[in-house]
Amino acid sequence: MDAPSYTLSKIAERDNLAVYELFFGPNHPGMHGNFGYVLEMIGTEIVKVRPNAGHLHRGFEKLMEQKLWVQNIALVPRICVVDPDPNEVAYCTAIEKIMGVDIPDRAKFIRTITLEMSRLTSFLMGMGALGAALGLYTPMYIMMADRDLILDLFEWLTGARIYHIFNIPGGVRNDLPEGWVERLNEVLDHLEKRLIEYDKLVFENPIIHKRLKGLGYISKEEAIRTGITGPNLRASGAAYDVRVDDPYAAYPYLDVKVITQDGGDALTRAVQVRLEFEETIKLIRQALKEMPDGDVRLNLGNLSMLKVPKGEAYAKVESSKGEFGYYVVSDGGLKPYRVGVRGPSLPAGLLYAQKHLPKMKIDDVAAWMASLAICPPDIDK
Amino acid sequence: MMAVLRVFLFGIFAIFIGLLFMGIGRKVIARIQLRYGPPFYQAFLDVGKLFARKSITHNFVMDLGMVMALGGLLATMLFVPIAGHVAVKTSTNLIVIMYLMAIGYLGMAMAVAASGNPNATIGVSRALTMMLGYEVPFFTVILGLIIVNGTSSLELISQSQAGSILNWNMIKFPLAFIAAEIALQAMMGEKPFDAMIAPAEIASGPMVELSGKYLGLAFLTHAVSIFVETAIIVNLFMGGASNIFTFVLKQFEIYLITIFIEAVFPRFKIEQAVKFLWTVPIGIAVLQLLLILL
Repeated sequence: MDAPSYTLSKIAERDNLAVYELFFGPNHPGMHGNFGYVLEMIGTEIVKVRPNAGHLHRGFEKLMEQKLWVQNIALVPRICVVDPDPNEVAYCTAIEKIMGVDIPDRAKFIRTITLEMSRLTSFLMGMGALGAALGLYTPMYIMMADRDLILDLFEWLTGARIYHIFNIPGGVRNDLPEGWVERLNEVLDHLEKRLIEYDKLVFENPIIHKRLKGLGYISKEEAIRTGITGPNLRASGAAYDVRVDDPYAAYPYLDVKVITQDGGDALTRAVQVRLEFEETIKLIRQALKEMPDGDVRLNLGNLSMLKVPKGEAYAKVESSKGEFGYYVVSDGGLKPYRVGVRGPSLPAGLLYAQKHLPKMKIDDVAAWMASLAICPPDIDK
Repeated sequence: MMAVLRVFLFGIFAIFIGLLFMGIGRKVIARIQLRYGPPFYQAFLDVGKLFARKSITHNFVMDLGMVMALGGLLATMLFVPIAGHVAVKTSTNLIVIMYLMAIGYLGMAMAVAASGNPNATIGVSRALTMMLGYEVPFFTVILGLIIVNGTSSLELISQSQAGSILNWNMIKFPLAFIAAEIALQAMMGEKPFDAMIAPAEIASGPMVELSGKYLGLAFLTHAVSIFVETAIIVNLFMGGASNIFTFVLKQFEIYLITIFIEAVFPRFKIEQAVKFLWTVPIGIAVLQLLLILL
């Protein structure tokens, strides 16, 4: 998708106006992570944009070929910092598909619960970042404090706050500790109460409505064609959710409600996240209620000597930002032959930057980025 | 000699109170955001630290502009009566005060435009546009009060409200007070009118190239501007005060209102802000003006 030719550059040529470069990132308070856009600007209006990627490039896909199957589990969550669990689950599910094993039901439910908790943390961060992009810092601080309550639970369960490394081929590392479920219920109650405050602060604020309405419009057909997934796609009116259309983990046993809205602009996307946040809380409650007893992992022998039989598989997981897909090829050895990762932020961060940013004022860039929930590490990989 | 000392003391007093307000404001905002927040004297530590640092200058205009910004606002301060005391006993004409206040902002504009950073230039052009936005409603309010009192002297306007609380212009002309409060929010550069410093958009705008002593000077300028602007509102609408302590307390009340609004509002885009300022507060102020005239 080429940057559309824009008459402002012709006007600038005629009137001898200066076209200057403005670096929006990697060092910019409005940018998430080590990513940047080089904006060619006239006055405060953007004429042309060049995504400036590579600051976060760690060569994940190649690196995974050098490491043991189980070592890679420590590597994959780093592809999306704010929502790490979908990576682990997608990678492990792909391995299990190649091996042809079915993990215990309780492990499936625990995976589902951690996935949804991870979604909550990511949504809290996303909603806070949207507020901060528009200068509203109060909900950001409150949401970060609430996110910490979930991170505490993760620490209790897995020993780590951000990169949990909890899922392994054949299930999860350990069962839920005693008292953990009760605490999770308390936290969920707390978050539900807080939603009223979030609504008042962010989603009912007239200035937020004024600023986000009509910003970064994506139509349904266009979203499907360019590969936008997750809440962004559902905010454009397409009812597609991997949890329903190609269920994994415990989702076949659960009743997942797919919320869609017609609007496709930044405001609709923000409200979409807010609605799905509520739905996620309900889903965790449902999973806790229906969780069976039993083992949480299969005995696959010594995991560091794990040999995955020859074959290939693709596993996809619905993350808070869209669809994460892992294509894993094994040649029967101790290490993967090839791992391909499909991240959700690639079309939003690269294609739509070319489409939306020209003609946009510098005022809206941060809000546009936050509304599309662009996660730079998964662009760079 | 005494006059020079007096001017000096007034300047120090304004800076002290301004920095104190800034620190308390940060603490109040932190509590609204469910944080603990820095100590109330944090602004003094910040300024002290910044003045102890090495700083980078781009050219002579930048040096001059920063000093002009602080100087302009300190000069304004000298004409504002504080609990009946005025630093320079000449006139306390409102027009002169408003005119001098603009000089401070122009100095800041000059300094940061000289730094050559596009973020800073965008920020300063926004600040000057915002000035155009808030001065029109504020002058409309002032016009009404000048007509009522038959004088443009801030001291006389404040004296005319002496006695009971019912004599305050805030009670007598509530619409004018509301319009002035909205204009004050923009004057102080607090949300929703902080498009000029917007960190997420233009990386803090004017402040982006300031380091060390220059940032320290910008802090002091902001402190004095808080003092001057709240003092003008207290004199115009809350009847000044008989002693300095009461005066500062009234100033603090005004500052607290702006801080509360600052904490829970996102920011307008610059064009939305000017459109808002040129419709809502001007409408209210003109309505008050008509009520006064008719």
